[in-house]
Amino acid sequence: MTAPAALATDTHCPYCALQCAMSLTRTLPAPDGTAPRLPVEVAGRDFPTNRGGLCKKGWTSAELLGRGDRLTAPLIRDADGILQEASWAEALDLVAATIRRLRDERGADAIGVFGGGGLTNEKAYQLGKFARIAIGTSRIDYNGRFCMSSAAAAGNRAFGLDRGLPFPLEDLGTASTVLLLGSNVAETMPPFIGHLAAAQAAGGLIVVDPRRSATARLTDEGRGIHVQPAPGTDLVLLLGLIHLVLAEGLADEAYLAARTTGIGPLRRSVSAWWPERVQSVTGVPVPMLRELARRLASTGDGRGGTYILTGRGVEQHVDGTDTATAAINLALVLGLPGRPGAGYGTLTGQGNGQGGREHGQKCDQLPGYRKITDPEARRHVASVWGVDPESIPGPGLPAVALLDSLGEQGGVHALLVHGSNVVVSAPNVQTVRDRLRRLELLVVCDFFLSETAELADVVLPTTQWAEEDGTMTSLEGRVIRRRRAVEAPAGVRSELWIMRELATRLGAPGRFDLDPAVVFDELAAASAGGIADYSGLSHALLDTGIAAHWPFPAGSGGTPRLFAERFAHDDGRARIVAVRPSRWEEVVETAHDLTLITGRLLEHYQSGTQTRRIAELDDAQPELFVQIHPATAARLGIMDGSTVEVSNPRGSLTAAARIDQSIRHDTVFLPFHYSGAASANLLTQDAVDPVSGMPDFKRAVVRLRPVTTTDSTARGLT
Amino acid sequence: MTAAGPRPLRVVLIGFGPVGARLAEDLLPGIASGHLVLTVIGQERVDAYNRVLVAEYAVGTAELVDMTLVSADDLAEAGVRTLLGATALRIDRVARHVVLDSGERVPYDRLVLATGARANVPTLDGISRRPRDLPTLEKYGSDLLQVDHDLPDGVRVLRDLDDADAVRTIVHRRGRIVVLGAGVLGLEIALAAARAGATVVVVHHGPTPMPRNLDRGSGSVLARALRAAGVEIVAHSRAEAIGARDTPDGGRRFDALITADGKRIAGDLLLLSCGVGARSDLAVLAGLRTGAGVLVGEDLVSWSDDRIFAIGDCAHVLEPTAELRSARVVPGGPSGLIGPGWRQAEWLAERLIADARSSPDSARLRPPPTERATTVALKAEGIDVVAVGDVEMEPWDTETDTGCGVHAAAPRSVSLWADPDHGRYVKMLTRAGVLTAFVCVGMPRAAAELTLLYESGGELPADRSVLLRLDGPDAGGAPSADAFAPSTTVCTCNGVTVARITEAAEAGSTTVTCIGKATRAGTGCGGCTGRIAEVLERTARTSGLDAALPV
Repeated sequence: MTAPAALATDTHCPYCALQCAMSLTRTLPAPDGTAPRLPVEVAGRDFPTNRGGLCKKGWTSAELLGRGDRLTAPLIRDADGILQEASWAEALDLVAATIRRLRDERGADAIGVFGGGGLTNEKAYQLGKFARIAIGTSRIDYNGRFCMSSAAAAGNRAFGLDRGLPFPLEDLGTASTVLLLGSNVAETMPPFIGHLAAAQAAGGLIVVDPRRSATARLTDEGRGIHVQPAPGTDLVLLLGLIHLVLAEGLADEAYLAARTTGIGPLRRSVSAWWPERVQSVTGVPVPMLRELARRLASTGDGRGGTYILTGRGVEQHVDGTDTATAAINLALVLGLPGRPGAGYGTLTGQGNGQGGREHGQKCDQLPGYRKITDPEARRHVASVWGVDPESIPGPGLPAVALLDSLGEQGGVHALLVHGSNVVVSAPNVQTVRDRLRRLELLVVCDFFLSETAELADVVLPTTQWAEEDGTMTSLEGRVIRRRRAVEAPAGVRSELWIMRELATRLGAPGRFDLDPAVVFDELAAASAGGIADYSGLSHALLDTGIAAHWPFPAGSGGTPRLFAERFAHDDGRARIVAVRPSRWEEVVETAHDLTLITGRLLEHYQSGTQTRRIAELDDAQPELFVQIHPATAARLGIMDGSTVEVSNPRGSLTAAARIDQSIRHDTVFLPFHYSGAASANLLTQDAVDPVSGMPDFKRAVVRLRPVTTTDSTARGLT
Repeated sequence: MTAAGPRPLRVVLIGFGPVGARLAEDLLPGIASGHLVLTVIGQERVDAYNRVLVAEYAVGTAELVDMTLVSADDLAEAGVRTLLGATALRIDRVARHVVLDSGERVPYDRLVLATGARANVPTLDGISRRPRDLPTLEKYGSDLLQVDHDLPDGVRVLRDLDDADAVRTIVHRRGRIVVLGAGVLGLEIALAAARAGATVVVVHHGPTPMPRNLDRGSGSVLARALRAAGVEIVAHSRAEAIGARDTPDGGRRFDALITADGKRIAGDLLLLSCGVGARSDLAVLAGLRTGAGVLVGEDLVSWSDDRIFAIGDCAHVLEPTAELRSARVVPGGPSGLIGPGWRQAEWLAERLIADARSSPDSARLRPPPTERATTVALKAEGIDVVAVGDVEMEPWDTETDTGCGVHAAAPRSVSLWADPDHGRYVKMLTRAGVLTAFVCVGMPRAAAELTLLYESGGELPADRSVLLRLDGPDAGGAPSADAFAPSTTVCTCNGVTVARITEAAEAGSTTVTCIGKATRAGTGCGGCTGRIAEVLERTARTSGLDAALPV
């Protein structure tokens, strides 16, 4: 690899799945020879998704390249428990030796791998391969389990395929009605909202959120409807809408007959959800329910179509898969998926949350979105890897179960973490922190000393976005190029190199290439014939600037719009799966209980490892706050800005009160970007969705108490 | 997987209404695993449907396909024996079988009664009523069990599809329907029929409609709304007799309802809507203890036979005590609402499966939560009424000391909002800030919130008007009072405030593009560029003005 020659490099933002296009221009030394503060300058780049725009996170992303606290040498915990700099050889030898020893003593499943939805396709692919043939473990999963797993499970179940948006994002620009369920795009991916302008102009932006979020406010002034159901009642709301669509004769019966199976059981399952009953569960009034159903179904009179989009707000629940399924069912009853100018989609969160779930980081999956239990898939992938199909392990454990097994008899005793900060992002994090301490070896690959890295035995410094080449797959299933604009600091290595070094030390079969373009070619070959088929793609082809939406089999031009003629099941039809709400394990029981919901802020990304290191972002949102309705605050004697204790049996934290009317009076909100004692996930439940393994991040029962000065002094002493 | 060892538990369910059907559906996992076998005996010959929607079916706004809850074919496919159109005539508790009208005997290990309720028929001249006590049942059992009512032509209750079809005929020809009774069900069919084009008159004996659920104030607001919706209301009228005329085919048919004060209210159909009573005839015949329904404990087991359960409208849930067992009359009765029935069915299915597996879970299964009174919502488009509990107390009433000493509950207090002119009325009764009852008319959002607060037992905001304002135009929080206040955010994507833009403008960035370069405002989604232009314009004007003013 040679250093980038051009001054400006076209790449994409390091953060979310919108993957805004940007160009990084090398900054030059001042005439007096002073080195510039940052190596590159960021500018928005015209692209169909972000149309040249960037949010505050994107604009400030170059700050990450100029940080003084960047990891530049491997760290090994010494006998005194201090992380000390070490050579790569020492670090890698230690890791490899421990893996070998544990593998001999306890079997390969004693070693776990935890990946991330921010890794490039090449790294995600290589990580899955590394786990299965270099270590030989089935115990690999990733933080996407906390993100997209429910929507993915629902999409696979209904359509036979899971691509977040089965249409290009720009298509939204023709819509007159867009239903956004549990997604705060105005904060999480701001440039996205430009695509909602047509729906807003038609008065048809419908935002379902218990909070009057920034996105909900986009419906003001006649531009749409904000629906504010009680937390955790989205499924019932959707069942009620399906009931109304069917009862009022608004369903697309011809579509249902020609393109779906399962409408009978759906009809029967929703007849129990008449509007008044739905109102009594969700708090959404009957007239609004009727208005919504009619609006979603009205596409005549030259109007544009209807899109239904879901986000983590409805998916990160113990019934997340069923809720996403209900949203899909509503879309199917209205005849939306696969119709031009209409559709259903889920908004992927992490930068490579889409690609990250296609290439084998998931415990039950092989590259190309193949099932690891499918003998044909195993044969194909084994031939690409050059191994015996029998040597590929079977399905492992999904994230929460994997983390639960740490240090247990028969569980995982060494864990390799890549691009994930689990001690902030996992549910019920105190338990996760305790479990990590029971490991014999924790290895963390990251570019900063994240909170998880702080607990590691070995920390391996890696390249970050502007220092590496590769591909990402954005929320619309488009494969895009991430390009290197600057040299990584000396001492930093790419994860591809780390995997190759470890594979060699472990005596692994197969190839572990260093060049991302070569790894991509291998990935493409492994994916050939799979659901997420990349076999017609290469870095060289992507560099021509084509809009490459998968499936992109060799010889094809890709698939911008899926499902136009058929769905991906064998019979070509979408499957309507009737779902019904289950009883909650954890419910509000007394007048003092409040429901906690969690979410993101515009200024921060995920566990904040990156954004909390950028002054401009951190200054805007420096500390944890809890959002409370004024009536609730008044009842509890809480003043705006004062310190509040939020607690439940799992944990307790303190936060500054932010009192405003944009939240329901029975609900409080905490952002989840903060670490340590300020981690919202100290309070969240690790109960999981039975289908997807998604934890219930979005609903927990808590109590609030104002903290007096004496309290806080006492706290300071402990 | 099939269970090894003992034969599967034989469960027999009598009743295939909404509650029975839910039980059958929830027992399927136990059937699939081979732990139990289920026989369902249903009198109607159709798939289980949602009775709550019968009024909509009666006026043609819902079709059977939209009301069906569980299909008998699906159950049969899952291995359930479904006997539709069959009537259970007798339960032999010694031999442990159910005798059907066909003569078949269906043996059981566990028997579940989900026989539901039948409409009450008031005492009216011209309508015969038959008692359903033990002697009469023993004498005429099979007749009485097969037919609920023997009503003259043109008089109906509204309970099943057959009744609904009769109403449909009249609605279809825009006939005139007299509804006797102003309870929830009567008003629902009245409003639906009026909306569908029929002429409807509601006759009731009290001063205001829904007297069991509403106080005088909310009832008056509702009465106005009913009239506005085209329903004629005849209050203060006790029905005494029905008038009939000869029909061409030689029969007699209803043509008017006659009240005690001599009014003759003409119509093509009289719908009796005077409440419902449990169908517990089989239990009476079998010697099971009944009250207002089949008496069962909180675990839904009959007081008299621990192999027999009752759920839904036929079940009178009351935990038996020695005192109650010896009492002649017991308090309470079935709720008549479907929600509690479904919860009972779900719980009982779990319990029966646990029994069938002889699992220790069976003993550990907590009894179903005791039901509080359930909110009642009037199902009608355009009229919003939700109520629960006793709402008679007025704001200035003080509660008399109940004399329970230190354990006396906090007194109830009442908050009230009445705006009859605009059809709005809310009354909230609280004890220590927690709702014990409420009624809400014409304010759908407040009604929805109050329902949630009631169900969760959450404390009401001290400022009760927060709830009232939910139906106002500014609901959901203060839109920023001043769009041009310095602290107001203009560009959300980049967090740029009016102050920041003004500052940049004063420093020379006078176009939207320049502002974008200086502050990044407008460089995200681009949705705020219009607002930036407005801020620039105002800044330019103000500074121009400042310059012109003498300092």
